[in-house]
Amino acid sequence: MIHIEGATKRFGANTILDGIDLRVAPGEVVSILGPSGSGKSTLIRCINGLERLDGGFISVDGHRVDDPKGLQLARRCSGTVFQLFNLYPHMTALQNVTLAPIEVLKTPRARAEQEGRELLASVGLAERADTYPAQLSGGQRQRVGICRALAMKPRYLLLDEVTSALDPEMTGEVLAILARLAAGGTTMLFVTHEIEFARQISQRIVFLDGGKLVADLSTARFFAADGGLAQPRIAQFLSKMTK
Amino acid sequence: MRYADFTAHDLLLLLQGLGVSLALFAATTAIGLAIGLVWAALRYYRVPLLAALAALLAELLKNSPVLVQLFLVFFGLPVLLETDLTPVQAALITLSGNTAAFVYVIAVSAIEAVGRDQLETARVFGLSRWQTLRRIVAPQAAAFALGPLAGLLVNQLQVTSLISVIGVVDLTKVGAILNLRTLKPFIVWTVIGLLYYLAARLIAGACARLETRLRAHREWKGL
Repeated sequence: MIHIEGATKRFGANTILDGIDLRVAPGEVVSILGPSGSGKSTLIRCINGLERLDGGFISVDGHRVDDPKGLQLARRCSGTVFQLFNLYPHMTALQNVTLAPIEVLKTPRARAEQEGRELLASVGLAERADTYPAQLSGGQRQRVGICRALAMKPRYLLLDEVTSALDPEMTGEVLAILARLAAGGTTMLFVTHEIEFARQISQRIVFLDGGKLVADLSTARFFAADGGLAQPRIAQFLSKMTK
Repeated sequence: MRYADFTAHDLLLLLQGLGVSLALFAATTAIGLAIGLVWAALRYYRVPLLAALAALLAELLKNSPVLVQLFLVFFGLPVLLETDLTPVQAALITLSGNTAAFVYVIAVSAIEAVGRDQLETARVFGLSRWQTLRRIVAPQAAAFALGPLAGLLVNQLQVTSLISVIGVVDLTKVGAILNLRTLKPFIVWTVIGLLYYLAARLIAGACARLETRLRAHREWKGL
């Protein structure tokens, strides 16, 4: 369970997260929607400990991320996929995938490489395993990014606008993989602007605006005329995004 | 005027001088690289006090003339420590320290050139600071550093010529001796200059080859 309670984050005078409460249970797919600057990415960065909260707390499977020991354990439970891929440029696709299993989980190299090749094959990149990121397309890079996160066998997958840097065709490649993962029962916290896709794969939709959690509804309720759409801020956002 | 002529023995003398220059260069480069990298590591790990001390030392060493440092070590240090220093020892100390200072500066800026996203990603995946340094930062920083490092090394090779003034019989000192004997400065210094040039090209070439290898992953191969 990812447990977020009263999460508050400020940068100077700006309040980026304003008392967020959210729980994500194993097996759930939860999408986080909201306009730019609403705090979606910051929330992800607080869960994986790249930013410190100024108030409230976050725990992943009971490990509090504000405690160094807890953060270490929390990071073992979750895998992050980044908006700009953040692949290691000096390593091949396979090395990107196997680095953390070998260094952190102490998986024997041969086994890590075998699992890495299987993961890459599962996203259609069997032939590109020994290629450097610079020689891959954006969609291929992000697929490597997903494999890299999955190689750690995380219980929770944190996805931070993973298709925002991709053109529609490449976005399709990546979303197809995420849809398969969702159907396979992978727990996902999915920050996105792909509203239609979020609607298809998630059980719940969370809407952030100005650092506040405006709605946390089942997908059906969120898109219902008397549910999420009844809130003017959400209706306005959706109509703009789907235009 | 027999002594004014060049002899086959002079060639041997020149090669000996070149050997001394190159040996000193190699030794001071190895020591300087090691010390400079340790200083940079102190900074990477933010070791209190020692990191600041390394920065100060590098600052002092890179902003004063090597010749002054050489005199300070050769004439000053023995007085202070009440010991004797041979010219070679003094040259080793001075040039190693000087190389270390510039290696520190190059290493620090190369480490800072590695993207913040790379450090964050490594942290999120649970890599320790040491694992991050070894697997993520160092390989990328090395590729950034090699260009400036090649420039530094070529320069440091030429700086070794300063040690002739305290009596080390290096290539420049041999040149001075030959020049006094033969009174043919144009020939002598041309030959000496060419030898330094060839050695410098060798160093630059080796660095360029290494750089190509470290940048093998880049699509863009540079201008």
